[in-house]
Amino acid sequence: MEFLLEINVEEMPSSHVKTALLDLKEKFARELSAAKISWTELRTFSTCRRLVVLADLAEGREAREEIITGPPRAVAFTADGTPTPAALGFARSRGIDIANLEIIKTEKGEYVGFKKTEKGRSAEEILNGIIPQIVGALSFPKMMRWGEGQFRFSRPIRNVLCLLGERPLSFEIGGVSAGDTTFGHKIRSPRRITVKSFREYRDALKENMVIVDAEEREKSILDQIEALLSPLEAQLHPDPGLLERLANDVEYPFVFMGGFPERYLDLPLEILSTAMREGQKLFSVVKAKKQIPCFLGVADAPSDAKGFIQKGNERVLKARLEDARFFWEHDLKTGLKKRAPALKHVLFQEKLGSYDDKTQRLKKIVSYLNAKVEDGKDGKEVLLAAELCKADLVTDMVREFPSLQGRVGGLYAKAEGLSSVVSRAIYEHYRPVSLDDDSPETQGGAILSIADKLDSIVGAVGIGVQTTGSSDPFGLRRNAQGVCKIILDWKMNFSFQRLLEKVLTVYGDRLKRPKKEILEFCHDFFLGRLRYICEREGYRYDLINAALGAGVDNIYYAYLRVKALDTLKASSQFEPFILMAKRVNNILAGQPVYAFSPDLLAEKPERDLFSTFSIVKENVVPMFAKGDFSQAQKMVFRLQPCLNDFFDRVLVMAKENKLRKNRLSLLQAIRKILIPMADYAQVVVEGEKPAVKK
Amino acid sequence: MSLQNLIMNLQKYWADQGCYLAPSYDVEVGAGTMTPDTFFRVLDKRPWKVAYVQPSRRPTDGRYGENPNRVQKHHQFQVIIKPSPADIQKLYIDGLTSLGINLQDHDLRFDEDDWESPTIGAWGVGWSVMLDGLEITQFTYFQQAGGLDVFPIPVEITYGLERLEMFLEEKDNIYDLKWSEDVSYRDLRFEDERQFSEYNFNQASIKSLQESFALAEKEAGRLIEKNLLLPAYDMCLKCSHVFNLLDARGAISVTERVKMIAQIRTVVNQVAMKYANTEGKL
Repeated sequence: MEFLLEINVEEMPSSHVKTALLDLKEKFARELSAAKISWTELRTFSTCRRLVVLADLAEGREAREEIITGPPRAVAFTADGTPTPAALGFARSRGIDIANLEIIKTEKGEYVGFKKTEKGRSAEEILNGIIPQIVGALSFPKMMRWGEGQFRFSRPIRNVLCLLGERPLSFEIGGVSAGDTTFGHKIRSPRRITVKSFREYRDALKENMVIVDAEEREKSILDQIEALLSPLEAQLHPDPGLLERLANDVEYPFVFMGGFPERYLDLPLEILSTAMREGQKLFSVVKAKKQIPCFLGVADAPSDAKGFIQKGNERVLKARLEDARFFWEHDLKTGLKKRAPALKHVLFQEKLGSYDDKTQRLKKIVSYLNAKVEDGKDGKEVLLAAELCKADLVTDMVREFPSLQGRVGGLYAKAEGLSSVVSRAIYEHYRPVSLDDDSPETQGGAILSIADKLDSIVGAVGIGVQTTGSSDPFGLRRNAQGVCKIILDWKMNFSFQRLLEKVLTVYGDRLKRPKKEILEFCHDFFLGRLRYICEREGYRYDLINAALGAGVDNIYYAYLRVKALDTLKASSQFEPFILMAKRVNNILAGQPVYAFSPDLLAEKPERDLFSTFSIVKENVVPMFAKGDFSQAQKMVFRLQPCLNDFFDRVLVMAKENKLRKNRLSLLQAIRKILIPMADYAQVVVEGEKPAVKK
Repeated sequence: MSLQNLIMNLQKYWADQGCYLAPSYDVEVGAGTMTPDTFFRVLDKRPWKVAYVQPSRRPTDGRYGENPNRVQKHHQFQVIIKPSPADIQKLYIDGLTSLGINLQDHDLRFDEDDWESPTIGAWGVGWSVMLDGLEITQFTYFQQAGGLDVFPIPVEITYGLERLEMFLEEKDNIYDLKWSEDVSYRDLRFEDERQFSEYNFNQASIKSLQESFALAEKEAGRLIEKNLLLPAYDMCLKCSHVFNLLDARGAISVTERVKMIAQIRTVVNQVAMKYANTEGKL
């Protein structure tokens, strides 16, 4: 039987629509299964004003009879037919009267028991009960009430259509009764429409200027864009987020093209496209990566026959571009250097001071980092970038378009004639904004970005900001992931602990939380972020735990160790070696450190082990230093046969003290070169009990 | 069409919907939301319908009369209806039609835009209403005011009168608008903008402003003690405007900004709390 639900709302944000659909689908599937109503083809559709669920449902569930058996007859009753405690207990536990127990004949003999009947229920009855619950349980980042109702939702619910078969269901959501009618487009065709099926619903809506399938709207937008742009041999300046949002925000998309005076083309593409996107949600149009004086917009309309929509948008855009050009020219009259002192008046965080305070810190962190990276020849210029990177916060352009922070500073630095090292570093220093965004392309940008993010993180941690569950105040997680990503992309190789200590020193006595606490928190926090990045890339959790268990002070090396274990995990030497390493660990557990003397090596296998170990050690130490963990791992595999031999033929726990201590000491030396590779105890080997997942 | 025609049409339309037409409030405010006809009335439980024109001052938006879109004083047409009716979007749309706009030829959109004013502890959920890409209205379902949950839920419709008139007259420059058939916006407002921009940015005495802020804040506290909530609230509005002027003068340091906003919020919340406790008996 066809089931159709449409919740009519006032315009919902596209992010809310997206999560509501996923939630609806999941909750319907769960509730229907729980009610034992079988279903197929659970689908959802939407516009910003409609949430739609479509499914094919069974008509209900049949009445069912179930036989519940208890103890054998012989146990349940005495010879004279008196119920025993076993029978009484069974009846009590099932909540039935002893008199209702029957004798049930089974293949195994006679038992006491009873027949339990479950009533049949129609899908209609069940749905009337579960739909208000499901819809009422939808949750949104920000919820509201309206009118005099207590119901909370993303936006006010104004109509509910719900059909099962051809009949409307009867329930209420937020004070609105379900029925068999919906409404057409709120401007183009706001009439009431009665429908009997999804097919009728979809077709009637289309006639009344509503396309209820988001994919169909998106495709229509793309087709119209293509038809407009291909004669010009031009393309959209890509903006997938905007496309998705527009496909949600309109019920009947019409793409129109407009133009603007060529004199605004002097403005950089970033500024032009932002001026178009923010406010009016227009696409900028490029040809050979250069803006041309055109834009595309998506209207919620069948056409723009009189050209009013185009003309109106052109007028608004012209005013915005005029403003942008004014800001550009006006801002450039005062260089970034002259502007920077005004950052004293811009608050970064109440307890962490102004952006000028932040700038002074950034300079110190950047010079520390410059000395740590391999090729720090641009040091002075990156320092200048640090000094100027926040100055664009006091420009009119960033006040108007806050999303352009950083990029505007970079563009101004370039226009002022500062070197490309300086302008690129400023331009890129907010990147990456997420793990899917690119890291800065220049080393200066990478250093500045790390410094900026670490300053924010350490500061926030230092004043006691916490992250819990899904909330990420101060963007702590996002920033920490950004730092890790840059370090990995740029293969940066330095002690993270010392960098953190440097940032703490730079903060001086501004942070009230004890330094030790801040460092510990940051260490665990970054460890968590690095683990998340590795998991996201699909590495095995036990290999991640093992590799990171060897320490994360050098973030890049820690990541390389994960990769090394991953590369070698399939080799035939891997598992035997892991088991051997675990054996070494176990035997050394609780032993104090002993002195080693080659002269005390009594037997051949231990002499062999020692000489192989000496060679391996000599080789792996430089490999560790270079971060070549794959090679190092392969090298330590060579210990395997000798270790085997050693354990097979030599009694480690020899009675004679001297010998025993010397043998343990040899193993201790071996463990010492294994430790920098991985905490092998964490690796799960087939057949073994899995280690506890952290 | 002229601005005064637009005002008269909106007044007629919303009066027909049962709104009381309030006179503009006579203390400087940054937005229609801040006048007592909105601030107090959304806090109590009684039904309320009001519409009014409110001159709104934003000193930092001054451009000496040189910018075709920005002015340090503009005019809002404010509508509050409590509880929000189920057909409020339709009422709003019909209102635009009554101004002579044939919406079939245009693109009217409700764009996600939640409103928030930390200074008066208020927030709501709603949209910017865009007409062919031009923002003409803020449409908000209030959820909190003065730091308190409001109930029943009021809906607030705030038209930007100059914006809407620019749309109706198809003008690119605010000063080219007609206030009446014979009087232009330039005639009435240009000199105002020029002189007030000079005052806001360069001439306002920082010392006197700082003193007025301190005085008004102190006075607000004293009046709250005496249960004189309306005058106390006027004092809060004065603080807010003086703060905006000091801001335009570039005279507010980072720490002062935080402190002053907190000071205003504290007294506003005290007024709201006391008013809510009296169950709306002013």
